[in-house]
Amino acid sequence: MRIVYSWLQEFLPDAPGPERLEELLAGLGHETETIEHLPAPDPKIVFARVLSVQEIPGLEVRRLLLDAGREVQVISGAPNARSGIGVALALPGAVLPSGQELSVRKIQGLESYGMALSPRELAVGEYAGGLLEFPEAALPPGTPLAEAWPEESVIEIEITPNRPDVLSVYGLARDLAALGLSLVHPEPRPKTTALALPFQVWIEDPKGCDRFTLSYARNLRNGPSPLRAQRRLYAAGMRPISAVVDATNYTMLELGNPLHAYDARFLGQGIVVRRARPEERLVTLDGVERSLDPRDLLITLKQGDQTLPEGIAGVMGGQHSEVRPDTTEVALEVAHFDPVSIRGTAKRQGLKTEASYRFERGVDPNGQVRAALRFLELVQQWTGAEVGEARIDLDHTQPPQPIAFWPSHTNRLIGVEFPADQQLGVLRRLGFEVVGQEPPYSVRPPSYRMDMGLEEDLIEEVARVLGYDQIPVTLPSFFPAPDNLGVDQPYQAKERLKAVLAGIGFQEVVNYSWSSPETLAKYRAPAPTVAFANPQASDRTHLRTALYPGLLQTLEFNLSQGEGGPFLLFELGNVFQREETTHLALLLCGESVPGRWQPGLGGGFYALKGLLENTAAHLGASLKVQKEPFAHLHPGISGAVYWNGHRVGSIGQLHPGIAAQVELPPTYLAELELPLPTLKSRFKDVAKFPAALRDLAVVVPEAVPYAELEALIRGSAGEALEGLEPFDVYRGAPLHPGEKSLAFHLSFRDPARTLTDTEVEGFMARVIQALEAAGYAIRK
Amino acid sequence: MPPNVLIGEAMDTQAALQAIAEASSLEALQQLKAQYLGKNGLLTGEMKTLGQLAPQERRERGRVLNEIKQRLEQALAERSHTLEAQALEAQLEQESVDVSLPGYAFPSGGTHLISQMQAELLGIFRRMGFSVVEGPEVESEFFNFDALNIPPWHPARDMQDTFWLEGSSEFRIHAPGGQPTRDQGRLLLRTHTSPMQVRYMVEHTPPFKIVVPGRVFRYEQTDASHEAMFYQLEGLVVGEGITMADLKGAITELARGLFGSEARVRFQPTYFPFVEPGAQFGMWWAERERWLELGGSGMVHPNVFRAVDEYREQMGRPRAYETLTGWAFGFGIERLALLRYGIPDIRYFYQQNRLSFLRQFKP
Repeated sequence: MRIVYSWLQEFLPDAPGPERLEELLAGLGHETETIEHLPAPDPKIVFARVLSVQEIPGLEVRRLLLDAGREVQVISGAPNARSGIGVALALPGAVLPSGQELSVRKIQGLESYGMALSPRELAVGEYAGGLLEFPEAALPPGTPLAEAWPEESVIEIEITPNRPDVLSVYGLARDLAALGLSLVHPEPRPKTTALALPFQVWIEDPKGCDRFTLSYARNLRNGPSPLRAQRRLYAAGMRPISAVVDATNYTMLELGNPLHAYDARFLGQGIVVRRARPEERLVTLDGVERSLDPRDLLITLKQGDQTLPEGIAGVMGGQHSEVRPDTTEVALEVAHFDPVSIRGTAKRQGLKTEASYRFERGVDPNGQVRAALRFLELVQQWTGAEVGEARIDLDHTQPPQPIAFWPSHTNRLIGVEFPADQQLGVLRRLGFEVVGQEPPYSVRPPSYRMDMGLEEDLIEEVARVLGYDQIPVTLPSFFPAPDNLGVDQPYQAKERLKAVLAGIGFQEVVNYSWSSPETLAKYRAPAPTVAFANPQASDRTHLRTALYPGLLQTLEFNLSQGEGGPFLLFELGNVFQREETTHLALLLCGESVPGRWQPGLGGGFYALKGLLENTAAHLGASLKVQKEPFAHLHPGISGAVYWNGHRVGSIGQLHPGIAAQVELPPTYLAELELPLPTLKSRFKDVAKFPAALRDLAVVVPEAVPYAELEALIRGSAGEALEGLEPFDVYRGAPLHPGEKSLAFHLSFRDPARTLTDTEVEGFMARVIQALEAAGYAIRK
Repeated sequence: MPPNVLIGEAMDTQAALQAIAEASSLEALQQLKAQYLGKNGLLTGEMKTLGQLAPQERRERGRVLNEIKQRLEQALAERSHTLEAQALEAQLEQESVDVSLPGYAFPSGGTHLISQMQAELLGIFRRMGFSVVEGPEVESEFFNFDALNIPPWHPARDMQDTFWLEGSSEFRIHAPGGQPTRDQGRLLLRTHTSPMQVRYMVEHTPPFKIVVPGRVFRYEQTDASHEAMFYQLEGLVVGEGITMADLKGAITELARGLFGSEARVRFQPTYFPFVEPGAQFGMWWAERERWLELGGSGMVHPNVFRAVDEYREQMGRPRAYETLTGWAFGFGIERLALLRYGIPDIRYFYQQNRLSFLRQFKP
């Protein structure tokens, strides 16, 4: 919200300067976004009256004769130039806000001795389609505009959604006054005459509309509004239209109640407030024809037995009864509508107006009459209107309920010691009615504080006015309830995993949680199960089902940017299949220890597997891989990962079909689901007697995996077998094609004594027997 | 010095010692050793003849021969040491490397900057006795909004632009206690970490202190200073007699942890529907001489406690929260990292994952 400083001063005569004001506002919870200083117009920009407008045959521009204390001729293309209005005239030598210095110049061959300015040219507004229009006698002709438009400051404040009561100059002043500043209350007093009100109002839905006032004024001349009012409207971010329209906006900005003025000629018998009927349509003020929803609350005009939609209540009026330049009599609506209803309608219609913005947050249900009087006072001053005394006021509002308040509760919740009378004083200064001699006090909020419902709300009021900087600094000291102990174990496990991976050379990356079906399909990941209802972009339509596609995309991007390896990447994040689970994905591309001037080390499947084994070793886990195909992996170079005996994921080479499609070199991937099953470490005594070492080579068909031989050997060697390591895999003569020889180191040890050769030979005989029984030959 | 005893014709002790001293290689020395002291060596041969001598003569000659043997052995050992030292020296001269060439490029690895920032912050809170827990990224409307005192019609829903989701029939959201006990509303990507307040309270008994790090999402276009995905840190303390002063204390500790013992903290009123009173907090950033508005906080709103207790009751657990007080805070983590390291564009974090960016930061 933009607050014009001089306007605020009208209600807070002792207001400090804008910069100090910013601090006070922050202390109250109103954050300042910017403070803008608007300069006064250049002294050579003067007020002038349009005396005559002369068409120039064959040209689009016209010759204006202006009275600027002396007669001045300018050439202008402005469509709204006409005799009888006041304008802002820049004389030769004037410097415009754009920096342009004006001189006598020729426009389409005709001399122009100045320039009549549009709002944009004077940098007060966006509008550039016509001249700023002032009342004809706003100033003596030739007076510098700066005399009526001195420099001004505008404070732009972010108002939180709970505080619609400060969405006005007076509302903000009222809140600031709680700090002890003296406040001038608005008391508008138009001169009224005994005019009968020629309309009636019927409310069909008192829940949707619990307050409706209608006032009447006539014999007005709807010209431009005064200079100062226009300055303020522009500064507040609105465009002046005409005195009547400007008076509604001016009043809303000043007091916070939205108002709507109707040209009374078109009001028929009066207004009926009702919900829309199916299929009903309406052209709103912005020229858009809208189809209405039965939940929308309407202003309709009664004509005979019919009620014709005229406006969307609290959102936007209709074209039929719009106030025009020739309007001479107006009916003024100041009402209160159900915020939830207005919000629903505004959302459905995609219409956000100054009125709907205020109504959906909550407008003072008790400020309607004051706002109406202020409007009538302004219209009377600005247009000479005759104001009727009679007014319709249909009131179904409920006064706010009182809240029980113990000042000691403030001190208990905030941790302060504010005296009770100080607290009650704050509430009174904020407009609360405090009743009672001792706690609980009965505190009734003012009608405009719709955010007050609980004692905690009152406590915040006390604390914010007395100042959050009064709150001391302490620390809570207690022991948590038992069921909270150990809750951080899962997170610690993740941190440990990350630390190990980083320690053995993997770089963590963090990718988005989303993907698209096309991307997931390209990498042969599971199809998505969760879609965005409102997708942002074509590559952000679903949630990811696996991490490795993101790792591959990271790799592709890094390669495309010329980043050097080693490419050992990991990501730990959540994926979404049947439910949300946490995954760990690893990627290796190239060698894990890249060559520099000597050859690199450790690439390929066994490098990634080794790194994963190393990770498991760091975490005290066993790791096994069993051959198993996965859609995204090379069918011959892939397997399931078993962590402490549990199947947790996959490892293998990226399927060459995918790699070719995305033009990646051979890349190795692993993806595991967390949490990884853990085993508790147990003490085993260190070796005190020597181990006996033996070697053994077995000839087996190519398809027999190492794991099978390992199982046979471990199953037959007996408990003394301590270590089993493969040290050679051989293919070629004298073996037959399709055969391979696997050679093992075996180590035997007894914890309590030295094994004899005879014993060890016995173990070996058992191993050899088992292998031969399985049909495999021992290589001599 | 023993006399230069001639032992037979072939052996002259002085000559033997000289030959040892002049031996030019370990091999030659080995030959000399064999020649004199080997199984069939000259001295060994002489020793073997001792048995034929008379006792008196044998003793005398035995002493002489032993003396000679010791001298030869000593000379052999000395020469051997010298030759070995020379050989080593020669070898080392050959073996010199260019130590200025780099070693093997063992990868150093590392965590993402956001993980490092998170770890630092969690460290500060763990020292204050907080436990770290996490919640799901896909949330229900109920936990993300309704239970946090943000009903559907509430204007505060506009404060957080939401990624609404449509789950297929097979997708299941996590519900406390296994099964949802009430209608969860629509699915969404959580807009803040605050839903974990409700989830945690539903499942645990007060008092406790927790912090919740995690991803949150806003329906926003990505540019240099805006991301649709970012990380928040949420804190929640509930117990008997917990005050806003305690909140200020914890935030002050956070500031000191980040900016040193001179750090200052500023609290200002603001509005979040799930706290009352609410406060935004800022920290004085001495290096840049300005306040850094960091996040929001406040005393847990009674409506949140009520929603928790109602949910607990539906789950068959006792109501536990309505009579207590507590506070919560939340703030975004990226901005701290951006400011600390002078990173101009948040897109470096997740949109790009350039290795030359990620590798710059070590905890």
